[in-house]
Amino acid sequence: MNELVQINNLTKVYEKQKLALDHMNLTIPRGRIIGLLGPNGSGKTTLIKLISGLLVATEGEVLINGLRPGPETKAVVSYLPERTYFQGGMKVKELIAYFADFYQDFRPERAKQMLANLNIDENARLKTLSKGTKEKVQLIMVMSRDAQLYILDEPIAGVDPAARDYILKTIISNYNENATVLISTHLISDIEKVLDEVVFIRNGRVILQDTVENIRERRGKSVDSYFREVFAC
Amino acid sequence: MLGKLLKHEWKAVWKVPTLLIGILMFTAVLAGLTFALPIWDSEWIGLPLSGMMMILLFYFAMIATGLGITIYFAVRYYKNMYTDEGYLTHTLPVSARQLLLNKVITMSAWSLIGGLAVIVSIILFGEVTFLSLASKDSTFARELAEAFAELPRAMAEIWYAPELKGINGFFASIVCLVLASSFSGTMMVVGSINLGQMVRKHRILGAVGAYFAINFAMQCLTTIIIMPVMILRIDSMYAEPSPFPVLTPMYFVMAAVSLAVAIGLYFVSEYLLRRQLELE
Repeated sequence: MNELVQINNLTKVYEKQKLALDHMNLTIPRGRIIGLLGPNGSGKTTLIKLISGLLVATEGEVLINGLRPGPETKAVVSYLPERTYFQGGMKVKELIAYFADFYQDFRPERAKQMLANLNIDENARLKTLSKGTKEKVQLIMVMSRDAQLYILDEPIAGVDPAARDYILKTIISNYNENATVLISTHLISDIEKVLDEVVFIRNGRVILQDTVENIRERRGKSVDSYFREVFAC
Repeated sequence: MLGKLLKHEWKAVWKVPTLLIGILMFTAVLAGLTFALPIWDSEWIGLPLSGMMMILLFYFAMIATGLGITIYFAVRYYKNMYTDEGYLTHTLPVSARQLLLNKVITMSAWSLIGGLAVIVSIILFGEVTFLSLASKDSTFARELAEAFAELPRAMAEIWYAPELKGINGFFASIVCLVLASSFSGTMMVVGSINLGQMVRKHRILGAVGAYFAINFAMQCLTTIIIMPVMILRIDSMYAEPSPFPVLTPMYFVMAAVSLAVAIGLYFVSEYLLRRQLELE
């Protein structure tokens, strides 16, 4: 079974009848780095939250390894949300112990090594860290797991270009090659070089799923240029 | 996984309620110690007034401990489950039932500990007060020692008096009510917060509204169920010298109603977490 995630007829309607996902169908294979791309409000974050089990679908289903989101799928999905989710009073080392306790695939040594590389003190309390450092700690926690699916929602938004390079390097060098990385971002040109595949979403529907290579060869454009053409206002 | 959740939850929460309980015990001792000071007979009103203020402080500390623990856990539950922290809570490889049980067990346990701490603080206040008075007056000290020596015999005599008939059952009903209230108090808070999430645009307001609605419904239900029990027992009120044959069933009924409402709220909460979760 090469497909890791199967999305069938997935629909999400928020309060006041706001349609976020409209009967979406999508297959996410294993061993790929996939860019989930679309303009604001296209449904990227809603899709990610549904895969992560933070929302309940109005209609349709999400299957990860053939299972609906639940404890078994959460054990193999490593999710980096847009926001920082730490309890401020915790120390970095306590966070490592917390992750190690709950996620069997968490590698504390890897996390400690990455923290040391960035000169982040394990004894520091999370509330004392800057916003950017907190984001880095969160990324380190997420990428220190040997997960089957990494979902990264805007991992490079709001950080300086040097940090972006570090984050991308961290993603590429830490993910298991049989795993899939799903990256949602607006900063396409920055991540284009690491992507194998892209999924374009508009109004809650998938309008394109193709390899980066195909887009370059057939359309003669970079993903960034093609995105601008497709989603031109 | 529930064990791991409980371990981390307990580790994260123990400091605040322990601090509140520590302050409560400290004020109990201070309030009791005022009786050792020569301030109560002073002609200047300021001195006895300051002693009374100390006792009032202890009184407020008792209220603040119960209220403080409830508010602390309510805020923590809301933050852990429905704010940014919820993004970690709900992506842990645990079921909604385990998440809920973890919170409910910890909150109920601390609610019970808080209640017991208030009782202990009252006993502590009494002890320190007696000792303070005894330190000033040797006659009182002697009488106090004699009274304490007599206490077991006197209690044994009173315990079987017709006026205290059924006191054992009454104590059992109180214990049941206290245990049920710890659980139901927790579920009122947890249930209200979960129900408040259904009001997507005004979640906190929804939770406050749900709390008052549940409270009102519970009061009505208790009254409706207690009335027939009281009416059935009305003859006993006049026939028996002891009040306990009437009070005991009433307290058991109150405990049963609390427990039933709490169990109902538990299942509603679990359903909402499993089927209606919608993090912002």
